[in-house]
Amino acid sequence: MIRVNGKKHFWYEGMTIKDLLNNFNKSHLYAVVRINDKHISRPYFEKTLIPDNSEVFLIPMVAGG
Amino acid sequence: MAEYKMKSLMVFNYDRPVIEKGYANQTLCIDISDVVISVKPVTEKIKNVFIGGKGFDLWLLWNAVNSTTTWSDPENAICIASGPMGGTPVYPGSGKSIVTTISPLTGSVIDSNVGGYFGPYLKFSGFDALEVTGKSLKDVVLFIDGIDEKVQIFEASGLPDDSYALSAILTKYFDRGKPRNISVVSTGPGAKNTRMGCLNFTWYDLKRKRARYKQAGRGGIGGVFADKGIKAIVARWDTVTTKTNNPADATTLKEVGRKHSREVVELDPKQNQMAQIGTTHLVPIMNDFDLLPTHNFQYGQHSEADNIGQEVFRRIFDPGYDGCWMGCTLACSHGVKDFVPLTGPYKGIKVFVDGPEYETIAGCGSNLGIFDPHTIIEMNFYCDTYGLDTISVGTSTAFAMECFEMGLINESHTGGMNLSFGNRLAALEVVHQMARGEGFGQIIGRGVRQMKMIFSRDYGADPDLMQDIGMEAKGLEFSEYMTKESLAQQGGYGLALKGPQHDEAWLIFLDMVHNFMPTFEQKAEALHWFPMFRTWFGLCGLCKLPWNDVVPEDNKDTPEPAKVMKHVEWYADYYTAVTGRQTTADGLIRMSEAVYNFQRIFNLKMGFGQREHDNIPYRAMGPVKIVEYESRAERYDKQLVEKHNIDITGKTTEEKIALLRKFRENLYEKLKDAVYKRRGWTSNGIPTIDTVKRLGIDFPEVLELLKAHGVES
Ligand code: SF4
Repeated sequence: MIRVNGKKHFWYEGMTIKDLLNNFNKSHLYAVVRINDKHISRPYFEKTLIPDNSEVFLIPMVAGG
Repeated sequence: MAEYKMKSLMVFNYDRPVIEKGYANQTLCIDISDVVISVKPVTEKIKNVFIGGKGFDLWLLWNAVNSTTTWSDPENAICIASGPMGGTPVYPGSGKSIVTTISPLTGSVIDSNVGGYFGPYLKFSGFDALEVTGKSLKDVVLFIDGIDEKVQIFEASGLPDDSYALSAILTKYFDRGKPRNISVVSTGPGAKNTRMGCLNFTWYDLKRKRARYKQAGRGGIGGVFADKGIKAIVARWDTVTTKTNNPADATTLKEVGRKHSREVVELDPKQNQMAQIGTTHLVPIMNDFDLLPTHNFQYGQHSEADNIGQEVFRRIFDPGYDGCWMGCTLACSHGVKDFVPLTGPYKGIKVFVDGPEYETIAGCGSNLGIFDPHTIIEMNFYCDTYGLDTISVGTSTAFAMECFEMGLINESHTGGMNLSFGNRLAALEVVHQMARGEGFGQIIGRGVRQMKMIFSRDYGADPDLMQDIGMEAKGLEFSEYMTKESLAQQGGYGLALKGPQHDEAWLIFLDMVHNFMPTFEQKAEALHWFPMFRTWFGLCGLCKLPWNDVVPEDNKDTPEPAKVMKHVEWYADYYTAVTGRQTTADGLIRMSEAVYNFQRIFNLKMGFGQREHDNIPYRAMGPVKIVEYESRAERYDKQLVEKHNIDITGKTTEEKIALLRKFRENLYEKLKDAVYKRRGWTSNGIPTIDTVKRLGIDFPEVLELLKAHGVES
């Protein structure tokens, strides 16, 4: 089990960020995701595994300085 | 503590007006040549057209200077203003000031926004804006005391030069036991000896019991301040509540303020965590998308970038509340406690460092090939203390380093310094030399535009090559984002009024990562709406970060998520609640348009503001050198083949660079056409008569100026 934006979400062994985002609509708007305190950007979504019990945050839009 | 003396030269007593719906309805003018203080009324017409903040500053500056005024002429004014909403404690990010002057780097108008308490304290003391003209042979301190209703000019001697010590001393001198009542504006020795001096604005941190700093960094405003002989400007004001600004509708204001504050408190921890890590989260993100400038904007990525990212600064920042204005729940202005510099006058002494923010990390770190947080923090500390802009220092030093590595300059020019990328001690020594006005640091301190001229004239360096790799436009150094793959952001920098600073438009992600604006018309629309909306914050005394660095959870389901329209509508309600003037989201854009176009015309008045002045160096558009192209050959080859239908078989890298350049430069010119059209400008980038009439800025002087440039109805 993981939490995504504070809500419980199912988890399975080998789940990547890309897999997780497939469960959300308009997921193309997420270019960055935070797993616990680490930011992961889209180029790494496919190869980044989400550990069990993670706190995941989908960062809505990177707005810059 | 240094022995110092403060001799009162003049006291000007006044009756403090009651603040009405966010306005004091008058401005303060101090002529330090003749030691004359006067007050000017703010008319309804001025409020209607210019709103406040930067708008008021520009109007005062326009009337102070003529078309031949240079930055160091006595009539050049330093104008500082907050805005009608400035000083509101219940709405996040409501304490900004904006400073304008004629810049030593660009020769035209510069504006720089900054946190700290000064702007609100100035307004509550009875003045919507401050205009300082003239020059003093002896150092002066200007004191605006809203509590005792007096403005005082002191001749000062024996005060320390550096901003760090100076602000602490002056806070104590004026505070009468209440340091939170004081805000000091000052600069340091670097501002005297370079063209890239900044101003430090203080806010008093009650928990840490010290004056903290924010910087009006861009364009060398600190140099104008120092050249005038101003040691500091100090404002004193008392307790601030929502009532202090006397809003038209306090109930609605509290409601909308609470909504935005609550959202920030609830969502920032889930989103960017700016209350914990400031803007440092951008470092790894920019790096991942090949947008973090490294080695003078040659590349956008480096394997060591994680060493200077948010994970490191999360551990280094001193935890606690870091709001640069009262009640800002985003509170992103972090600092480092008990930092011990390894070099310079504070070597071995524990200091508190305000920062670093993303721009400083990229400018004084990755862009110099430095991936060591300690060096970056030390550069940050000394730049602030010496009164230097970390962005111009970083981008100028990066240019000098690349010239050194390419052999355009060598150790005989640098005074024996090895200016290779990554040389941390050399980078620090450059900053110390800037402060002392010595050695090669002094030459770097003149900025990229001047360096190009000096290196070519005195050292025989290739001017065309330096034109391509010298990251300045309009004379101002680029801030720290890579734009090669985002045409919209090339426009965001090149078409910005003051020069390439990202505060007008930050479109890289929307354009490059999200592909929200594939057509020219869409890019032009974005280069209209975003600069206008961002300008609006500077008219009102607001910080833009709470607008789009925290976004509502349902924002992605709105038709235009990038605009965060729910917040824009809150801002319209906020404006109406304070000023009593009804407005809408579109109304905010219309307010900015008048000021924005006026500033463009101000550039024209100063001899700039036309199409040719919106050019950018080719490094901002694409790869200049073979190594740059070859490092991303797959990307560039693919674009030549798929986007431009070129058969690249058998072509050398040089040939491919030349072809790509032709396409990209052409696209940039087409972008200019589309943006000028959208903004209501001629093809030469000048606002048309219809535009100035529609916006109510058709003053006789404006029409005359347009006519002189061939623009008539
Ligand atoms: S968001 Fe940060 S910079 Fe803006 S007002 Fe708040 S503390 Fe200051």
